[in-house]
Amino acid sequence: MHMSRMVALAAALTVGIAAPAVAQDKLVRVWHTETEPQTIKAFNDIARRFEAKNPGIRIEAEGLAWTDLEGKIMASLAAGSPPELSHGQPITCTSLQSKGLLNALDEVVKAIGEDNIWEQVKRVCNVGGKQFGLVHAAGTSLLIYRKDIADKAGLKPPKTWNDLLANAKALTQSTKGDGKIDIYGITLPGDNLFINILMGELIKSNGGALFDNNNKPLFTDQKMIEVLEFWRELVKYAPPGWEGDGYLQTFQNLYGQKAAMMFQGYGRGAGLIEKFAPKEMANDKTFDVWSKPVGPSGKAPGVQVDEEPWMLFKDAKHQKEAIEFLKFFYQDDNYLEYVSTVPIHLFPITKSLRASPKYQNLEMIQRWKGWIEVQQGYLDKDQGKPTLVVDWSDMTEKPYLLEVLGSGIVRDMVMDVVLEKWEPKRAAEKAQRRLEDLLRNKGYLKG
Amino acid sequence: MPEAAVGILLILPAILLLLSLTLYPVLYGVWISFFNKHSFFPQQTFIGFDNYIFLLRDPEFWASVWRGTVYALSTIVLQIVLGVAAALLLNEFFPGRNILRGIVIFPYVVPTVVAVIVWKWLLNSQFGLVNYLIEKAGLVDRPISFMGKDWIMVSLIIVSVWQFFPFVVIGVLARLQTIPEELYDAAKIDGGNAWQRFVYVTLPQLKGVLFVIVLLRSIWMFTKFDTPWLMIQGGGAETYIRTLPIYTYMRTFAYYEAGLGSAMAVVMFLALAGAAVLYFRIWRREENL
Repeated sequence: MHMSRMVALAAALTVGIAAPAVAQDKLVRVWHTETEPQTIKAFNDIARRFEAKNPGIRIEAEGLAWTDLEGKIMASLAAGSPPELSHGQPITCTSLQSKGLLNALDEVVKAIGEDNIWEQVKRVCNVGGKQFGLVHAAGTSLLIYRKDIADKAGLKPPKTWNDLLANAKALTQSTKGDGKIDIYGITLPGDNLFINILMGELIKSNGGALFDNNNKPLFTDQKMIEVLEFWRELVKYAPPGWEGDGYLQTFQNLYGQKAAMMFQGYGRGAGLIEKFAPKEMANDKTFDVWSKPVGPSGKAPGVQVDEEPWMLFKDAKHQKEAIEFLKFFYQDDNYLEYVSTVPIHLFPITKSLRASPKYQNLEMIQRWKGWIEVQQGYLDKDQGKPTLVVDWSDMTEKPYLLEVLGSGIVRDMVMDVVLEKWEPKRAAEKAQRRLEDLLRNKGYLKG
Repeated sequence: MPEAAVGILLILPAILLLLSLTLYPVLYGVWISFFNKHSFFPQQTFIGFDNYIFLLRDPEFWASVWRGTVYALSTIVLQIVLGVAAALLLNEFFPGRNILRGIVIFPYVVPTVVAVIVWKWLLNSQFGLVNYLIEKAGLVDRPISFMGKDWIMVSLIIVSVWQFFPFVVIGVLARLQTIPEELYDAAKIDGGNAWQRFVYVTLPQLKGVLFVIVLLRSIWMFTKFDTPWLMIQGGGAETYIRTLPIYTYMRTFAYYEAGLGSAMAVVMFLALAGAAVLYFRIWRREENL
C-alpha cells in the first residue's frame, strides 16, 4: 500500500472514530450506597425517565459497598476524574468541602424549596450557609427488642443505661430449660464502622464529647470511661463471639431468635424481619422499638442518623446536568418511588412528601408505625447526629473525623476493654495517645 | 554496528519497560517514605527518617508484624504438609485419579473474593454448614463464632491453606512424575519400606522444588492482603488478623498517610529480601554439604 493511501486510511479511521464522540451524550456518573435490589431498580428507573426527558444526558449509576466508597472517591479525586455525584458519610462531605473539592447544591435546595426540607437535614454539610451535601434520605438508629419476650418478663422501657443492662440480663434466657442460654439479651456489632457509630451515640447520651475546641481528644474524660464501663457490662449479655458480627449478622441474630434486643438497629430491619423471621413473628407486636436510654452523666438520648448526603464534585465535567438530575430525583413522584423501596429506613427529606397521603398510606409505613414515630421523635428533638458528630459544629470544625473513623482507634479501645479486659482508663489512655499522634501528624493538634 | 550493540538496542525497550514498571514504583515508594504525604492530595513535607522512627515506637506496627508472622508461618507449613501429602496420593494409580487431580486444583483457580464469601457462609455462626455439622456430631454444644476473637486467625489460616495448597500440589506432583522408578526399585531391593523410600528417595528428590515453593509461598503469604482483608469485610474481629499488609493499607487508605504506608512497605520489602538472601545462603551451604 502506498504511503498516501495509508495516511488517507488512517485519517478516515480517525474521523470515523471521532465522529460519534462529538455526538456523545453528556455522561453524569453517580455513585450511591443503596445496594438493595429494589432500590437500585427504582434509582435506575428514575434515571431512565430523566434521560427520556433530557435527550443528550446519560446517567450512569453505580451502587457501591460502604467499604469501597471512601477509597474510590479519594482515588478518583486524585486522578482528577471524580464522578459528578456521590453519596458519602456526612463527615466525608465536610472533609472534602474543607479541601475545596465540592460545589454547593443550593440550586437543588431552591428547587425543592428550602422550607420544604427538614431542619435536621439542612444541618448536614452546610458550610457558611451553603449546602455542600444534600441528604438522600434519613433514618435514625433504633433500639429494637422482642416485645413478646419482654412483656412476658414484665420489662419496662429502659430510661438509663442501668435499666438497659437489667433488661439485657432479664432477656438472656434458657428457653428450653436445660440451663443452656439460647437467647442472649442483646446483639451488638463488632465491625469498625458500627463501633464508631455506637461510640458517637453513647458519648452523646452521656453528655460528653470526643474532642474539645482545640481538637484535643477527650478520651480520658470521666464520661468516656463511663461509656467504656457500660460497654464492658453490656457485652456480658451478647452472644459469644459478638465481636465477629457485622451489621447484617446482628439482624440475623435478632430475627433468627438468637438475641432479644438490638442496640444498633435501623428501619431497614423491618424489611429483613418481614422477609426472614417466621411468618407469625414478622410484625411489630413481636419486634418493637424502645427509645434509647441515657448515660449516668447525660440528660437526653443520642442516636445516629443514617443520612448520606449527595456531593457534587468540583472537578466533575457535567455539573449542570448533575444538578438537573438531582432536581428531578427529589420531585415528589420520583422521590416517593425511591424511598418506598425501604420505607422505614429511607425517611424523605422533604416535608411535603413525608406528610403526603401517598407516603403515609404506604403499607409498610402502616405496619411499622411505631418504628417511624420513634425515629420522628429523635429527629424532632434534634437527638440524632451523623456518625461521630456529637455537636453540629463538629461537622465544620472537625474535618478529621473521617480519618478518626478509618483509623480503627476507637474500635481498638473498645476491644481492649471488652475482650482484652483492660481497665477502661488504660485503654482510653492508649487511644488518647494514638489520636493525639494522628491529629498532630495531620496538623490539627499543636504541641 | 557491532553485533553486541544491536543486541543491546533490541532488548533496550524491554529493559526500559521493566524498569519503569518495577524499579520506578519501588524507588518512588522509598522516596515518599521520607515524606509526610497525604495519600491522595499533593500535600507533602520532607521529614527524613521520622516515619521509620515512628514505626519503631508504634506498638500497632509490631503487633501487626507478629500477627503476619504467625499467619504466614502457619499457612506455609500447613500448605507444604498438605500439598506434599496430596501430591504423593495423586502420584499413585487409582480409578478417577485424573478427575481428582482436576478437583484438587479447583481452590487455587477460584477467585479469592468468591472463596472467602463461600467460606464465611460455611463458617457463619447462625446458619453455617460447619457449625451445623460439628454440633450434630456432638463436638461442640453451641455454635462456634469463627469470625470472633478466638477463632478468626484459625479461620483465616484454614481458608488460606485451602486456597493455596494446590500450588504446592502442582509443583510437587510435577517433580514426583520425573523421579526415576529405578531409584524406588533399588530401594525396594535394599529392603526399604514405604516410609524409608519416602524419606531417603522421594524427599531428597523434592528438595529443589520445595526450595522454590517455600520461597515463593513465603513471599506471597507474608505480603498476602486480599484474603485477610476480605475476611473482615461486613464483620469479623479485624483487630486480631490485622497483619502488616492490612496495617499498611490502613495507614495509606484510612489514615491517608502515604508516607508512613510507604515506610511500612519498604520495611516489608527489606525484611523479605533479607530473609530470601538468608534462605539462599543456607540452601547453598546445605548443597555444598
